[in-house]
This record gives sequence, structure tokens and C-alpha cells, in this order.
Amino acid sequence: MKTENLHPTLPRDEAATPKPQACDLSISEFSQILLQASALLMESGAHCERIHRNIQRLASKSPFLVEMFISFNAISVSLSDKSNAQVVHTATKAIKHHGIHFGVVTNASVLTWKFHDDEISFDELQTQLKALKDTKRHPVWMVRLFIGIACACLCVLVGGNWIDSACTFVASVVGLTVKQEMTKRGFNLMVVFMAASIVTTLIAGLDVLYGLGSFPGSSVATAVLYLIPGVPLINSIIDLLKGYMSIGIARGTFAGFILLCIAVGMFVGISVVGLKNF
Amino acid sequence: MAAQVCADVFFSFFVAVGFALLFETPLKALIVAGVLGGLGHGIRCLMLQLGFDLVLSTLCGTVFIGLAGIFFAHKIHTPPVVFTLPACITMIPGLFAYRTILGCIKIYGAGVDGDASKHLQETMYNFILTSSLLFCLAIGISIAALAFRKKSVKEIKHVKDLRLN
Repeated sequence: MKTENLHPTLPRDEAATPKPQACDLSISEFSQILLQASALLMESGAHCERIHRNIQRLASKSPFLVEMFISFNAISVSLSDKSNAQVVHTATKAIKHHGIHFGVVTNASVLTWKFHDDEISFDELQTQLKALKDTKRHPVWMVRLFIGIACACLCVLVGGNWIDSACTFVASVVGLTVKQEMTKRGFNLMVVFMAASIVTTLIAGLDVLYGLGSFPGSSVATAVLYLIPGVPLINSIIDLLKGYMSIGIARGTFAGFILLCIAVGMFVGISVVGLKNF
Repeated sequence: MAAQVCADVFFSFFVAVGFALLFETPLKALIVAGVLGGLGHGIRCLMLQLGFDLVLSTLCGTVFIGLAGIFFAHKIHTPPVVFTLPACITMIPGLFAYRTILGCIKIYGAGVDGDASKHLQETMYNFILTSSLLFCLAIGISIAALAFRKKSVKEIKHVKDLRLN
């Protein structure tokens, strides 16, 4: 019996490959770090190509080959040792929610580049990755105020006058408050979107009902725009363009369902206000 | 016409800043998002005034945002999507999406016996317009990755890095 054929995948020149920086860490430890980073990116609204790039950037400094599979509900990574193909490890992590937090996306990108350029050690990477989860958010009331201003400006852009945009401002600020408070209390995502859409349409519908502005339809149309799932919609198309078909379709369906909920909420709101001539 | 374009740039600046805040864009990228959103929407407005098609104008606006994003990504050390996405949101086809929904309600209201064919055509037109405009936004945001053969914008520092030949 030939002994050398027992492990045909085992490379002979182990000593020839230069040892990368983080060679002393275990394979399961490293897989947990990759999963932590990728799940955090996914929960912050990064598209798949970006997640893939960040993870490969980290992996290029480790002694492991990394392959990953991203789906809508979970991410799984498979690591194999470059110098010993027998050592293989696969781990999966669930994705809890699909929020948006571009601050995390920015900091994760900076962090992985720092690790890639040998500016920080492996231990520092670990601690900074933990701190990444608690990246500061903008003050809630500032966000609400500026979303109100943004929707009012959109109303002006589609041709409303200042009375229309004032109605839009009030409607979107109240609607966003409802959405954020309901999300905090743990309601179902689709119910949250529907409720926020109903509230917004009811308030903006008063403009149409009493004919306050010059182009009342514009306030109903633009007040709900803060609800539009712009990030999932655009991420869906980016993923499809880059060839991540399954997650592109999943994101598109997710965004489409949110749009449907907004539409149902608007339908209920319009029916309650009783707009006939919209 | 110039006054209208200037007003357009002014208002869409605030739209982009507002949505950037909602998406938790870091403070240093907020102004960039606002400026790019304003300029992109201004380009769209200018082209519409000159009589170009709506979809083509939107595409030009978003492609401008995507290309300018490469430059600013190096300036402020931020991934471009963080500020190009809020900037492109200024062109989100909200009015046409709203009209699509209203059209669906009108088709439902007309019933089986009523004449729904006009509503059907209108709704389908608005739906197609909405999805085309959305597609334009996505193309604009990912233009750097689509047009150039580099994986990461960080590798594009100079014009010669584009490897256009």
C-alpha cells in the first residue's frame, strides 16, 4: 500500500510558505470573528460585495482560506488551513434584523483596512470589533427634524407650495416618531410600516381634505417617502448586478413587501379621510 | 431657468442630508452627501429643462454622483456607498410610486363592469417608470464597480488606475 496517496491534498512544502501575522490563533476563534464582522455589516445594510470584500481583507492576513455563503437569514463561513488542508471549520451565524447604520459600515471598512495594512494587531481588531456594535447614533430628535425638512423639501421639488410642505413636515415627523417608537417596543416590522403609513396619510390627507395648499396631492405623495425602503431596493439591484442572485431576489422581495405594507396603509388612510378627487 | 436649477440644488441638499441622517451616515460625510445630492438633482433638473427624457436625465444625475463619489471617498476616507446612496435618494420616484398605488386603488374602484382600461394603462406606465428610475439609481451608485475593473474604490487613486485601455 502506498502511503503517500493517503493525503493527496496535503501540500509538501509547508515550510516554504511565509507565516502570516496572526498565525497563532485557532481556526474556530477566527471564524467567530469573521462571522461577527459579516453579520454586523449585514445588519447595518451593506451589500454582499462589500461584506465579501471586507471578510477577504481580514482573511488575507490569516493563515486560512475563507469561503463564505450569504443568505437573507444567516451567513456561513468555511475556513481551511492553507498549510494543512485537513483542518477545515464551518460556522454559521443568524442575522437578527435588517436595519440601516452606515456609521458601522464606514468604521468596519476602516477597521479592516487598518488590519490589512498592519496598523493594528489581532487583539486590537477583536476589541474594536466588539466596540463597533455600539457605534454612536445621531440624536433621535435631530433625525426626526431633518427627515421632516427633507420630506418638506421633496414636496417643494414636486411642485407644492409652503402650506403643502408644512403639512408634509408635520405628517412625516409624527409618522417617523410612531415608526421609531413602535420599533423600539418590538412590534412586527410590517405592522410598524403599516401603522406609520396610516398616521402619515391621515395627517397629510387633511391638506387634501380642506384644500389648503396649491397642489394638495403632493403632500400625501411625499410625506410617506421617509418609509420607502431605499436601501434594500438599491442593495437588491446592486446584488443582482454583482451576481448574488439569491440574496438580490430576497432583498427585492423584502423591499416589495414593505412597499405593499405602505400601500395598504395609504389605502386605509385615504379611505378614512374619504378622498374622492385625489 | 438658472434660478429654478439653483432652487432645485438648494432643496435637494436638505433632502440628501435628511436621509443621510436617517441612515446614520457619519457626520463628516453628511455635507458631502448633501452637496452630491444637490448637484446630482441639479443636473437632472437642468437636463429636464433642456428637454431631455426623464429616465436619461436621472441616469446622468446618478452617474455623476457615483463618479464624484470616488473622488470624495479618498478625501474623507469613507466607503462611497455611505454618501452616494442618500444623495441618490433625492431622485427616488416617490410621486410615480404614489400614482402607481393610486392607480391600483382606482382599478379596484372601477370594478369588473366599469371601464378600467385607462387606469390600467396609466398604472402600468407609472409602475414601469418607477422601476426604471430605481434601476437608474442603482446603476449610478455602483457605476465605479461596473465601469472600472477594480474591486475596491480604494484602488482607484489616479486616472491611470482606471486602466481604461
